[in-house]
Amino acid sequence: MISPSASSASSSSKKKMKQAESKWRTAAQERIYRRRLLEALRSTASGAGPRAVKEAADSALALTARGQSQWSRAILLGRCRPRRKLLLKAGGKVRRGRRRPRPAAPVSVAVATGKKVRDRLRVLGRLVPGCRQLSAPSLLEEAADYVAALEMQVKAMRALADAFSAASLNAAAAGEAESRVV
Amino acid sequence: MEPGGSSGVGSVNSGTYTPEIAESLRFEEEIQSLIDPSFDASSAAGGSFTALLGLPANQAVELLHHPGPGEPPASAASSSPIAGDLWRLRLVEQHAVTDTLRLPFGCSSTFPSDAALVERAARFSVFATDDSPASSSGGGLSPELKAEPPDSHSPPTLPVPAEKPRRPSKRKECEKSKAKAVAKKSKSAEENTSAAKPAAEENTSGDKLPYVHVRARRGQATDSHSLAERARREKINARMKLLQELVPGCSKITGTALVLDEIINHVQSLQRQVEFLSMKLAAVNPRIDFSGLDHILSAECGPLAMGSGCGGGASDPATWASETAASTGGIRRMPPPQQIWHLDLVHPQQSSTVWENNGAAHPHFLLSPATSLVGYDPASSVPLNSNQLKTEL
Repeated sequence: MISPSASSASSSSKKKMKQAESKWRTAAQERIYRRRLLEALRSTASGAGPRAVKEAADSALALTARGQSQWSRAILLGRCRPRRKLLLKAGGKVRRGRRRPRPAAPVSVAVATGKKVRDRLRVLGRLVPGCRQLSAPSLLEEAADYVAALEMQVKAMRALADAFSAASLNAAAAGEAESRVV
Repeated sequence: MEPGGSSGVGSVNSGTYTPEIAESLRFEEEIQSLIDPSFDASSAAGGSFTALLGLPANQAVELLHHPGPGEPPASAASSSPIAGDLWRLRLVEQHAVTDTLRLPFGCSSTFPSDAALVERAARFSVFATDDSPASSSGGGLSPELKAEPPDSHSPPTLPVPAEKPRRPSKRKECEKSKAKAVAKKSKSAEENTSAAKPAAEENTSGDKLPYVHVRARRGQATDSHSLAERARREKINARMKLLQELVPGCSKITGTALVLDEIINHVQSLQRQVEFLSMKLAAVNPRIDFSGLDHILSAECGPLAMGSGCGGGASDPATWASETAASTGGIRRMPPPQQIWHLDLVHPQQSSTVWENNGAAHPHFLLSPATSLVGYDPASSVPLNSNQLKTEL
């Protein structure tokens, strides 16, 4: 009964989402992210604290996203120029006014979703950066992209942390050995 | 089609209620007969409306438009409201449907002929409610209707005067019982009819495109809205499905709320992991100068086939080495971590050669399971640099 437009819309959105998902999972993306992460880490002052590291990591992640997603734009704009909501609303390169952020986000699907779902959607909107006032379908899309990006981030950071710790251990050991030898 | 009724219809501007209604009814019946050869005119009285509804939407629309300018007044159901409703139904539906959803039916071809038909129907329905305002609005309607050329797929929908309040319940029932395809139209009409009549009439008389306002104003969760909502819901469901696939363990869960719960938990856990790892990195960072960072990176690049990350291939290690030597005084630290690193992660023999190797050699290393490194497809490795180390996990 659903008109073809609906089905086509869903299929197109599915394609978009599938692309988003696979985009984050590619090795190339991870490589890019690692490089960016290292650069970011390098730029942070040593001993600045874990928060700086986290912010650097998130910024690197958002950079890797190339500003194609709402959350990435929110992160980048939040860091570079604090509270530039205007820029955020401008929608970045691709989407200029394409998405109308609807404050009554869950209301758009009022009939279909119950109260619980609406609450959950609101919570999700708070979790994903920059997606507080987003319509339900776009919020879900952003969430999917964000989850994929986060998974990649965790993977990369874990690898990095392990490498670091191993290297430092080795270095320490080597250093000690050297000093002892010397 | 019988053009006879058209003249009579057209002439009536402030005519009496009954003749128009009768004509419209007859028209409806005629349509019915067109659709269904075995259609019994007599039986049309009570069931024409519903019968028409029962038709597939395509046919109904086509038939509706067929009479076109020379619409023969169909001696439709005895009840005038039905006829008026029918007209309103069709027109409103079409309008509503086209506005929100593209009419899947091939109605566009028949639209141009609708103008006159719609006009007449509008007049009919308008008349049904009230004579005086109807006539004025009807008169005003006709130019408006004519003025607004139906889009290729949106026929000028009749502004729902909603003068048939008596029938809304029945129509709703009928409509709901009908097939979805037809239900769409009926629902939109229903919505419009049940809408506030005065508002509709005002709209029709005042605005160029009254039906737009009528639809928007209704706000009832009736069909045009429900249709749009259904389309939106389809979108949302598709995205939910994708999210479900993304989040592990969500495919088994049924129910949007629970799935969303899982998703929220997953996002929160991921964010917490990021925080934890950042803390770890921060703790490790000071001990490793960024010179060491470079080496780590290159080391990681090696086993992980971070072609691009390996820093422009072999050039990076060299640059990094010099950089680190220049930037930090921790030169002493450099070689050991590098070598050790390589020994740890990479096959010992190849470690030294890895960095020197600017050539095409791509040694494949097996990552030690100690490092939770990702395996890269050899195919996906960036072919930028010669010194590409691929790992296959």
